[in-house]
Amino acid sequence: MLLASGLPAAARAGTNGTTQIDASTLFYGEQGRVKVLEPMARITRIYPNGQSISAQLGIDVISGASPSGATPAGVMQTTTSASGTVTTVSPDQIPVTDFQDLRGSLDVDWKKPFGIFTPAVGGHFSREKDYQSVGGNVTLSADLMQKLTTVTVGVGMNHDSTFPVNGISTGLTVPIQTGGGDDSRPGDAIAEGPSESGSTNPSSSPKKVINVLAGVSRVLTRRWMLGAHVTRTLEDGYLTEPYKVLSVLDAAGFTVKQLTEKRPDTRNRTSILGTTVYHLSSDVLYGSYRFYQDDWDLRSNTVDLKWRHELEDNRFFMPHLRYYKQTESSFFRSNLVDGQPLPEFATSDYRLGPLETVTVGGTYGFHFMEYPGEWTIRAEYMAQIGDSHPDEATGVQREFDLYPTQNIGSIVVGYSIAF
Amino acid sequence: MLQVMTRRRILSLWFVLAALAFASGCAGAFKVHPWDRDLLAEKKMSYSPDPVLMAIDDHIYFSKEGSTGGMGAAGGGCGCN
Repeated sequence: MLLASGLPAAARAGTNGTTQIDASTLFYGEQGRVKVLEPMARITRIYPNGQSISAQLGIDVISGASPSGATPAGVMQTTTSASGTVTTVSPDQIPVTDFQDLRGSLDVDWKKPFGIFTPAVGGHFSREKDYQSVGGNVTLSADLMQKLTTVTVGVGMNHDSTFPVNGISTGLTVPIQTGGGDDSRPGDAIAEGPSESGSTNPSSSPKKVINVLAGVSRVLTRRWMLGAHVTRTLEDGYLTEPYKVLSVLDAAGFTVKQLTEKRPDTRNRTSILGTTVYHLSSDVLYGSYRFYQDDWDLRSNTVDLKWRHELEDNRFFMPHLRYYKQTESSFFRSNLVDGQPLPEFATSDYRLGPLETVTVGGTYGFHFMEYPGEWTIRAEYMAQIGDSHPDEATGVQREFDLYPTQNIGSIVVGYSIAF
Repeated sequence: MLQVMTRRRILSLWFVLAALAFASGCAGAFKVHPWDRDLLAEKKMSYSPDPVLMAIDDHIYFSKEGSTGGMGAAGGGCGCN
């Protein structure tokens, strides 16, 4: 559920209401890794009284390779996937596993103003091969001070379920090779060994997510809006990535074995977001800053800037710059060391390690000849920079770039029409 | 951990107080008449003028980074993180 913009929807709905259709398709590709095709469409009906109903449908077609979490082997390595595909990996190459998946999502929202108050209700459903998410949210906005100030509070709840191909791992145990199909997920060749009791692993595990939001938005001048929001997220349940492993290394830095990762079963997140929009003579500037912190000791800062520059004939160009930097979580490990006691929790997933993301790009908006609606084409480059040579790297691992910079490109083609 | 939680609570409290002061105390300093709201009515004058694009970006960064959240109360998870 998005926070209210500067004016109520009724101000733009006209006397008979308005129907807005927004459609976009994402073409996303990581160098040597994941490729995603994601079409998405949203239809919104705004009634003259300000009531609005919207539905958004999205599909993700995902394929490619994902890092398994293991360190480079230090020697030529051959792996066999669940489908029998043999892959040879050079000594310094980051181990990855091939996968493909299909995800569908549906989001619906409703809101209606009652005087100065605008309640809103939303629902979400998404499903992919090994994950399902069902959720809902409620927000209440109040327009105060002649509608120059909007205060919003909201709560959302999600019930997610993880059902990895080979069951739920208890973590930090030796994975085993298992069979699977050609469309197996990462780690389908890796599965949890039998538990000490000899019983099979549970096939699924739930995760509950509760979001609480409070925010305020203020129209400062005829041209300037400013907003601030605080979001608290409480997660409880299975939070481990079931297909990721950690390498256990000897003193020389060679792999002795691999263990499945293990994360805590709760996570408390806090994000504080400041946003601003400023209208120049015709151009518009967008800026935001987010501070994030959680009880996994991960902290991040995000700055996002856009400048919508109006061109002739209802065209525009909007350059975009985003910078993100995060610290590592308390249980992030590049690897474990053979012979040392196992930690309670451990992951080598780079997304929980020290990380910087720089995004640069631009959006071009235009109208095609005399046809209604607006087209947009956005092209962006994203670089993800990790700690290539962490202090805990041992032996031969110190010679390798353990977290090479990821180069990611994306193109989004969009179309929007209101009638 | 306790120090981190205490610092976070204090930071959140200061933020809420600052936001309330900002929302209420600016009534005199920033006055926008009804006839001055022409620019505010434009579609591009929104924190999220393209909700579909924002959803796409949210999904990308949720999948690629350790942080999440900011603009809404909706969760909408996936198995990509």
